Formats: sequence, structure tokens, C-alpha cells
Amino acid sequence: MSVLPFPSFLDDVKEKGIKRAVFELVDESVERLTAGMNIQDIREALRGEAASRKPNPRLQPHADGFWLHMRPSYFHADMTGLYPTFRLGWLSTYFVFFETITGILLMVWYTPSPEVAYANMLAILSNVPMGQLVRDLHRLGAEAMVLVVALHMVRTFFTGSYKKPRQFTWFTGLLLLAITGFLSFSGYLLPWDQLALWAVTIGASMIEATPPQIVGDNLNLLIRGGPDIAANGLLRFYLLHVLLLPALLFVFTGVHYYKVIVHGHSLPPRKENIGEDTAKRVPLDKRVYFIPDVLTSEIMWLAVTTLILVVLCIWFYDAPLEHHADPQVTPLGTTAPWYFLWIQGALKLGDKVFWGIIFPGLVLGSLAVWPYLDVTKSRRYADRRIAITLFLVLIAFITILSYMGLAEFGVATSPEIEIFHEMTFPPAHSHVGKLLPVPYEQLVPGMYTTRQVSAEDGQESAAVSAFNTEIDTLEVQTLTGPSTMEEMMKAEFEVQHLAVPADLNFSVVPADAPELLKQLEFFASRLEREHVELNDGWGTIVITQNQDGLRRVDLVISWNEVELENGRPVMTADGEPQLVVNAEGEPVRRIVTTHVFIHEDGGYFAH
Amino acid sequence: MFERMLIPTIENRITVGIFAFLATLVLLGWAAINEGGRMKAFEELQHARAIEQGAGLFATNCTRCHGLDGKGLANFGPGLNNPQFFGHDFFPEITEQINSLNAEKVGLEAERSLVSTTDARKSEIDARLQIIDVQLSDLSKERDPQLQAAMDAGYNPQQPDRLASLGWVGTRDAFIITTLIHGRPTSGNYWPNGAMPAWSQTAGGPLRMDQIEDLAAYIQNWDKGDEWTLADLFAVKQFAKEPVDGAPLLILIEQLQASGGVLPEPVGTDVAAVLTSLEGVTGDPARGDALYHNQQTSQLGSSLACSGCHLQAQNGVGPMTDGTYTRASTERLADPALAGYTAQQYLVESILLPANYVVPGFNNAMLQDFGQRMTVQDLADIIAYLETMNQ
Repeated sequence: MSVLPFPSFLDDVKEKGIKRAVFELVDESVERLTAGMNIQDIREALRGEAASRKPNPRLQPHADGFWLHMRPSYFHADMTGLYPTFRLGWLSTYFVFFETITGILLMVWYTPSPEVAYANMLAILSNVPMGQLVRDLHRLGAEAMVLVVALHMVRTFFTGSYKKPRQFTWFTGLLLLAITGFLSFSGYLLPWDQLALWAVTIGASMIEATPPQIVGDNLNLLIRGGPDIAANGLLRFYLLHVLLLPALLFVFTGVHYYKVIVHGHSLPPRKENIGEDTAKRVPLDKRVYFIPDVLTSEIMWLAVTTLILVVLCIWFYDAPLEHHADPQVTPLGTTAPWYFLWIQGALKLGDKVFWGIIFPGLVLGSLAVWPYLDVTKSRRYADRRIAITLFLVLIAFITILSYMGLAEFGVATSPEIEIFHEMTFPPAHSHVGKLLPVPYEQLVPGMYTTRQVSAEDGQESAAVSAFNTEIDTLEVQTLTGPSTMEEMMKAEFEVQHLAVPADLNFSVVPADAPELLKQLEFFASRLEREHVELNDGWGTIVITQNQDGLRRVDLVISWNEVELENGRPVMTADGEPQLVVNAEGEPVRRIVTTHVFIHEDGGYFAH
Repeated sequence: MFERMLIPTIENRITVGIFAFLATLVLLGWAAINEGGRMKAFEELQHARAIEQGAGLFATNCTRCHGLDGKGLANFGPGLNNPQFFGHDFFPEITEQINSLNAEKVGLEAERSLVSTTDARKSEIDARLQIIDVQLSDLSKERDPQLQAAMDAGYNPQQPDRLASLGWVGTRDAFIITTLIHGRPTSGNYWPNGAMPAWSQTAGGPLRMDQIEDLAAYIQNWDKGDEWTLADLFAVKQFAKEPVDGAPLLILIEQLQASGGVLPEPVGTDVAAVLTSLEGVTGDPARGDALYHNQQTSQLGSSLACSGCHLQAQNGVGPMTDGTYTRASTERLADPALAGYTAQQYLVESILLPANYVVPGFNNAMLQDFGQRMTVQDLADIIAYLETMNQ
């Protein structure tokens, strides 16, 4: 007789004793939670033993549970190895969850407003414990995810896995690749630094090129939220990044996974007869059950991949953060994110509409419909020479276009600006202007000239004093009229708000400043390399103490202006550059300067 | 070899997985332990970068008025690379002694002017005041010659802290940032080359808030703490100018022009003499009303604003206005302390020397300087107005 008016745990205790009753309760709970496997079943599975009861309890979670209903209950042994999948599909999914988790952590500390977004980044880096690590993980994960998803597509193409009946799986995969690219790209803007603003400005200007103009203009307005990217644009990118694109990604990941269940994993091409698809008809001796083999493998890879990412982010990778976004200052050498470089490179080939919109559209469009065009039955490599060749050509073309997308390729800048940039640009990605990492104590206040470096060994100080005499006495024609070089330089310093002594006095770089000397040598070698366009050019480095712990470094380049045509110097018959002359027929001397401030705690040389 | 699982046995997979999982935890724990130092280092680095950015902005935007070295430019803008700006006092003991002597002096002078002060006490006070004056002069002599170079450029050694003399209670950073945000809109009145403009985009200027903060970091970086030297002080080319209220001066000039060169004189605090001169003046109760209620300034350009404390029909900080004359001529004159006073004499003395007699139930809170802020005519008008307050 029951102690309660209904059958209860207390009855069990009364009947079987407390130990047994509790064990049975726990066992039953485990079985309910796993949708079919009790403690004994799990123990057997983890020991690698066969299931001891029938029907096989390891198939129940697939049939009855939510979490495994999208995973096959067994795999074909021929595709559980590294080849043919390279685990790329699994890795892509791993990154979906990895990015979601790290992203949610970052959302806690972030406000999508130009007023505070950058300050939020600084706070994440300086005031949120583990903030930098989580940001690095999220950024590295995003870049890795784009790469992994793209490689997954490449692999699928090579093994011909897009063929019937998996055409639609391929199509959803292509959508997922595009969504991944845009997810990564939309996250680019959020830190609101210079890198973000200008990379996204370039990306958005491609959208602007969509024909006809009324569509391009309005698409551009829609995505930027105004003529330029500002508060509205940031909010839109944020919402794309955390809401719309992840929602699409989850939906299509679901579809993609479901298709894998329906059609099974395609086997390595040579394991099947041509035209056959045996993925769903796995012989008993070829079955590798999801529980426990694939599940333990996946959990192991989850732990190992996470460990690799953590190791990389702790020791080898820091997510870039440049200066605060400034629509007034366009940094030299701005590029789109690397996975969009191929479009930027294509744009350099000519027409913005064709290369910026139609060409990428064609590439993605033809990839999307490829399974419906290539209806040959064989998945074997030898039978698919044309398809594989075409695909290799596409990869080669996109690689070359990506290289062409780099700022180094085909963007004409005047050499003096380029030299200044190389020497002084603020940290971007893992690069920094060459002068910035010179140790603070080696930036000895004083005035130095490239003439020291171009002099013969032992003649350095003579060359420097000759330079002092030259700038004092030699009269040159500037854009504003005749002047000595010293007056010309001083006028330029005044424009740049630099206090200098009445008499400019250059000296030899002190012996205890070898790094400074090295950069002076670099400066001289760059001037030498540009000696045609920077005719008779010299450079100086002027270092002044601005505050305690803060020095100002001014760079000066002076040269005889050369006639240019289409950005290239005009040459005379005897192979000399044609100089620009004033009304009196004398060469015109040009001077430009730039400067940076370097604080002793700036940390540029810490790395 | 790649066609089977990389780690074929389940127990090895479990081992590798557990190892990787534990290693991740250990690494995260190790990173967590180092977070304090890392965050501090990042903050220092970021502060250095902010100073670098601020330096660039200062060179471009600020040097035209504040000088290339931040030491100011005569008549353009004050020095910010300046011990006074950072509140460094080179002679703190002397400043303190002078302040306490001055405070004692004010107290003694007030006591001396009380009716109740005996002659014996008055001569005691006089003797002490003489000593104080000698001490003040000695202290100044000890300090000022050492600061003469700066004093010639407008440095006031008794106000060594710019923020304190402005009565600024916030931080120096907040002072710099608010000044940068909205500028000093009216400072063109006392800076011949124009006012400090607003710099923040919110106030119509060119700079973003992060740039304003970078500038503030740069300016703050001039602070040398206790390391300031007199040479730093002497290098300052321009000290801050204190704004002067120009309104009274304008009124004086108008008066001067109207009277053909005779300046109105303040009535002073000699009650007996004032009573005599009042006999020759007719008071205008309507103008007195306007002065009393701050609708008009005195002939010396000063706002008297009596009604701020003396509310019309109820007692405030001071007794109410209604019935003033009635109370003066009955209740007050009945007080033995005011034996022999007339109502007018009582009112005049209460305005010019308010501390001499405080109505029971109130505090000695009235300003002592009305004698310097009004003329005989102003006083006569106010008395005439108060005589209508006979409810």
C-alpha cells in the first residue's frame, strides 16, 4: 500500500531501500535527458564496448532527441578520416558557435554609437578582465571562419560532392559562404577605428556602383544610413552583425545540416561506382556509429581547436585596433578586408560596374548554378579534367586579383608621401612606421641629414658640416621666390608649428643611437631609389623635446621638381629627368615635411 | 593514412580531449592571473598614445595663441605649461601666513568699527593692526623680489593656483575639457586678440570628444608636480587674465560725461557725516523702490538687491520689508542699545554698518560694503522708500 495516494519515490524507498531507489531515479533521469541512454549504456559506449541491450540504445538519441536529430546515427567508415572532408564542415559549424559565444560576451561591453564605440574598445582592452583575449578570439575566429568555409567549398568542389543529389546542399553552402563573408565584414566597422571606417567605406562604395545609378545610390544610402558612414551606418552594421546575418546563418546552417542527413555524406569518389550514390546504404561492417566514435572525436576536436585558438590569441595574435575613426583623414594604403581584396583588385582592371558588381556576381552566380550545369555522372578526378581545370583557373585568378587588391599594386602616390608614410604610419595590423619603434632614448634631440649616410666612410662629419654651409649659403628658387635652403626649411617649420633655433645646425647621429642611424640610412636609401623623381633630393630628421617624455620627430625632404606625365617623370634625350623651371629658367626647389610625436611609454618598440 | 580517424581508439580520443580541455582551462587561468598587469600596461600605453595624438592637435590648433611651448603668448593666450595653472605654490608658508594675517586684519577692523567697542580695545586693535601691517610687508618683501620677473608678466603671488582662484571645485582634467568644449565665449572682453573659441563639435567647433580628451591628456602631461622650478615660472610669457565686470565702469563713465567731469562718490561709513549730508538731499521713494528690488543699479553701478534677503511680507534671511519703518521707530528705538537714536539714524547705520546692531532672532549676515556701493542720493532714495514701509 502506497504511503501517498499515488505511486511515488517514497514507495520505491520503502520497497527497495534508499540506495537502490536513488540509483534508479538517477538512472531514469539520465535516460530521459539523453533521450534513450542510461548510465550503463553511456559507460559501455565510452569504454568502446558493444551495446549490451537491444534495441541499440545508442540510436535512440537520434530518433527521439532534439540535439542529435540533425546528425546521422552512423557514418560510412570511408569518410571518417581526415580525407576527404578535412573536418572543414565541422570546423565551420564550430566557428558559428564559437563566434556566437565570444560575440555575446563582447556585446555586454559594447554600444553601437560613434561617440562611445571606440572608448568601449579601449575599455574592453584596458578595463575588462580577459576582454582583450575574448576580442582576439572573436576576431581570429572570424578570419579563420571565412577561410575554413571557403576551403570547405573548395574541397566540396574537388571531390565532386556537389553533384546530384546534393546540388541544393551546395547552393545553401554557397549562401553560407556569402553570409560568413558579410558577417565578418559587418563586424569590421564596429570598433570604429580608422581601419574599420576606411575598409568599410571601400566596401560600401562597391555597393554604390550597382547599376542603374538609382539602385546603387539607394542601396548605398540604405547600408550607410547617410551619404557617409556615421551614427546610422554604425547602428545598421551592428544590427546586421548581431541580428540579421546570424539569423540567416542559423537558418541556412539548419537547412545545410538537414540536407546532409537526407543525402548522407558523399564518399571519396573512388569508393563508389560511377553514377552510384551509396552514402545512405552503408554495409554493416562499414558503419561507424555516431555514438560513441564520432561524438568522442568531435568533442576531442572541439577541445583541441579551442586550445589552439587560445594559445594563438595568448601568444601570437592581437586583434588590430588603430586610431579613432576620422572621416577627415584617409590613411595611405587602405584596403578592404583580405577576403574582399579580390574585388578591390578587380576594380583596378577598369569599369567599376563591371568589375565591382557584375564580375563578382558572375563568379558567385556561376558557382551557384554549376551543379545544375555540370551533370556528368562521374565524381572521379580523372573524369572531371575540364571542371577541375576551370576551378583551378578561378582560384588562380582570384589569388592574383587579391594580390592586385593590395595597396602596393598600381596605386600611384608621390614618392615623398610614400617615404613619409613608410617611416611614420601608426600601427596598422602588425605593421608600424619604421621610425616609431626606434627606442625612445635613441631619439636624441638634434638635427640629422641623409648626407651623413651618403658620405664615404670617415667623411661623415665633413659631409654634415658641408651640408650646414650649403643650406646657409646656397640660394635656390622655391615656389615663392629665391631663398637659402635654411630659410626655406625654417619657413616650412613655422607652418608646421615647430620651434627651431635661429641657426639650423645639423650634426652627426650620436654613436649610442644605432637604431636612429639605421632609419636615417633607410631614409637615404629610399631617396636614392627615387632619385629620378626626387632629383638631387636630400632628407633631414629633426628631433625636438616637446614635453618631458615626449619627443617630436620632423622629417624633411627637399628636391628639384621634375616634370611629370601620367605620374611618371619626363626624361630628356640624354636620359636625365626634365626639371621644372621658373620664368628665369632656374630649377624649382620643393620641400615637404611631416612629423610624429613619440612618447616614451608609446610601446611601439615593445614587440 | 588519412582515410581513417586520426586517433583510432576511443580511449586516446578521450585522453587527448581531456588534456586539451584542461590545458585550455589552465591557460585561461594563467591569462586571468596576469590580467591586472596587462590591463594596467595597456592603460599606460593608451595614455601615451593619447598624449601623442594630443600633441599633434595642440601643435595645429592651439600654438597660435598658447605658444609653441605652451608657455603662452603675450595678449594672445595664457601659458598652460605653467606652475600656476597646475597650482604649484613656490612659497606655500608665506602664502598661508599672509592669508591668516589678512583674515585677522579683516576681523579686527570689523570689531573696531562696532559702536560697542571700547576706546581701550580700539587702541589695542590699532596696535595689533600696525604689527600686522609690518608683518605683511615683511612677508611680501621676503617673497616678492624672488618672483618679480613673473609678477611683471602679471603673476599674482597670492593666487598661486589658477583653479582655486577661479573657485573651480572639479578636477583639472574637467576644467581643461569643459574649457575646450565651449571655449570662453566672452573672453574677447579682456583678451585683445579675441576670445577662446569653442573646440568641440557639440559646441560648433572642429574636434571630436576623443580628440578633446587627447588634448587634455597632452596639456596635463606638462604637470611637473613638485618639480616645478622658478625658471619654469619665469619662462611663462603670459598669465591668465581675470575677467573684470565692465558694467560699473561703463556707468561711471556715463555719469562722468553727464556731470561734466564730477564723479559720484560713495557715501562711506561715517554715519554722523552721512546724516548731515542727507539733510541737503531729497529722497525719491520710487527710485528707492527700484534700487531696493534690484530693478536699477546704484549711481556707482552696483546691484544692491536688498529684496533678496528682505522679503516683502515675511521674514527671510533678514527681517521683512513691510513695516520696516514702523518697527524701526517703535520696537528698535525702545531697545536700550539704541538709546538716543532717531529712526533715520538707525536705518542709515543698519545699511552702512549692519554689524553694529543685529535685530534679535537674526544672524549677522548682511554684507558690510554698502557704503562703498551707493551714493548719498541712492541712500536717500532707499530711506525715502523705507519710510513708506510704515504698515
